[in-house]
Parts: sequence; C-alpha cells; structure tokens
Amino acid sequence: MIPSPEGRPEETDLELINRWRAGDGRAATRLVGRHSQALARFAASAGERDGIEELVQDTFVRAFASLDSFRGESTLRTWLFTIERRLMLDRRRSERRSRETVPVEESDHVSEYGALDGLIAEEAQEKVRKSLDALSPTQREVFTLRVQQGLSYKEIAEVVGSTEGAARVHYHNAIKTVKEFLKDE
Amino acid sequence: MNKCTDSDIQEMLPDLLHRALSDSERRRVEAHVATCESCREDLDVLRTVKSAAIFAPSIDVASVVRQIPPYRTIVPATERPATTRMVSWLVAASLALVALGGGSILLQSNGPTSVRRVIQQSPNQIATTPEPTKPTQAESLVKIVDPVAAPRSHALALAADADGLSDGGLVQLMNDMDNFDALPASEPDPVLSVDSGDSL
Repeated sequence: MIPSPEGRPEETDLELINRWRAGDGRAATRLVGRHSQALARFAASAGERDGIEELVQDTFVRAFASLDSFRGESTLRTWLFTIERRLMLDRRRSERRSRETVPVEESDHVSEYGALDGLIAEEAQEKVRKSLDALSPTQREVFTLRVQQGLSYKEIAEVVGSTEGAARVHYHNAIKTVKEFLKDE
Repeated sequence: MNKCTDSDIQEMLPDLLHRALSDSERRRVEAHVATCESCREDLDVLRTVKSAAIFAPSIDVASVVRQIPPYRTIVPATERPATTRMVSWLVAASLALVALGGGSILLQSNGPTSVRRVIQQSPNQIATTPEPTKPTQAESLVKIVDPVAAPRSHALALAADADGLSDGGLVQLMNDMDNFDALPASEPDPVLSVDSGDSL
C-alpha cells in the first residue's frame, strides 16, 4: 500500500489487479481511472490526432484480457504504454495502407488540421507541438515518455522495444533538436 | 554559453521535474543547475514541454470499464484420456501396416517379373544383336524421341545399342542429337477463319 494524498493507504496496481481477479469490478474502475489520462497524453504526444479515446479503451480491453501475462516485472503503466504503442503502430500501418489505396480528399485534410489548430490555442503549445513534429517517431516517443511521463530509460526501452543505451541517444538527440527549434521560433 | 559536460546531471533533469530524485540527488542537481547555464536552459525546455500539455481528450472511465470483459480464470487444457491416445496409436499403426503391405504386394506383382523379364531378354539380346553399325540419324531419332512407337521390348535394345556403340559412334550420336531440332523452328501460321459470307 502507498499513502494517498488524503492520507488513506492507496492500493498498489498489483493489489487492485488481484481484487479484480477476485471479482471486484470497482478495482477495474480504479485502475482505469489511475492510468487512462496518462495513456491519452502519451497518444496525443506521439502524434495521434483522432480516436484517442477509442485507442485508450482498446488498450485497456486488451490489457485486461491478457492480464495473466503481466508478471509485474515492470510497472503496470509501462506495460500499458507498450500495449498502446503497439496499437498505435498497427493503426498507422492500416492508415498508411488505406492512404495508398484511397485518395485523401483535400477538404478532409483541411478540416482535420483546422480542428486541431482550434484545440491548440496557446502559442507555447503550438511551438512545442511543432518542435515534436520535427523529431523522428522514435525520438518523439522516447522524449515524451521521458519528459512528460517521467519514465526511466529502462522503462522506455521496454515500451519502445529498444535498449537503454539507444533510448538515451534518442533522448539526447531529441532535446537538442527541440532546444534549437524553440530557440529559432 | 559552454556546453555542460556532466552527463549524469543532464540525465537527471527530467527526474528533477517529476520529483523522482532522492533528497541528496535533488540537492546535487539543484546546486549544479544554479551554476550551469546550459543545464538551466535544458531545464527550461523540459519545463515548457512538460507543461505544454498536448491536447488529449478526457477519458470516460465508466465507458472504458464497461468494455472490459469479466475476469475468467484460464482453465488448463484437460489432458486427453489414455484410451483416446491408445485408439489414435492403433489407427496410426494400422494405416502404416496397410501402406507397407500394399507396397510389398505391388513390388511382388510388378517388380520381380519386370526384372526377370529383363534378365531373360538380356542374354538373347546380347547374343542376337548384330555387330552395331553406325545408326543413321533417323534411326536414332526414332529410338530416342519416340519410344512409344518402338515395341516395348526395344526399350532394352536401345540401351544395348548404345552400349554397343564405339566411341566414335557415340560422339556421332550425340552430335546428331545436338543438331536435331525437337521443336519447329517457328510457330505455325495462325489459322485465320475466313468468313466467306455463306453462313449469312
């Protein structure tokens, strides 16, 4: 048990998982409430624009369905990020395939970005988004997991299927690019 | 501005933002940042990125939970009873026996007879085969290209003929084979249907 901000002992993820296995549905609610926003932020930071709610939902459905394979060697959140990242990659692959076969209407393209611009109102946010767009997909994932989610290099390596050393290199290249981008703006 | 060379400190900057450092580590990093302009700049960048929450929709926890299937303990696959396994083995053994038996019957009915026939024919062939003469191209072709046209017993005769050839004869035969065009030199002219107009 870890202490909650209110002073009450807060159950760990593993304790909640065991409660859910024992048939307590409220444990699932606690787990989803604890991790869903982090998953949504990771998806948005990784460049997902549409269907983030659906993505987070699919991540949880898949995670709960295969919870028996979670050994607790990494944190539950790291494991969830790993599942979500795989789903994002699958989604991008299928989108790429459909783009190759179905031509994108110009009007669709404009409306998509118009909606996004409306959502990102603040100038600083826009700058950060652009600076993240300048990174490679892996650099972007590593950088946002490190800076926005606070994951260690070991955890990041698990999520992106890489090594700690490679994650470090991606992070250092990413911060260099972002720094230069924000300086130039 | 000088670039910071303390990579340990640089590595810990994100952890400082997430309050993931021990007290001693935090004091060490903060003391360094106070004197290092490069690290201060890095920390500013990290703060900007962290605080600029990229738009992410708020997730409806209840709707997500509704989609989660109830937990079911995975039941280990029950082992098949021993009798079922025994029946499987018996079936497999019977099939193997049938296959072996069928094969040996086939061998007995065809194989030895053919071999016997060859053995019976061979001495006569060798005894009665006249001194091989240099085969003409046409004769060679008949024997090689159209074995069906020759009687069945001649299949061996062909081999005997070839065996009986002198070196020069063999070379000639091979040259003849090389020079022979098995396929027509060109495709036949297409047959054009000529509409005579009679059918109308």
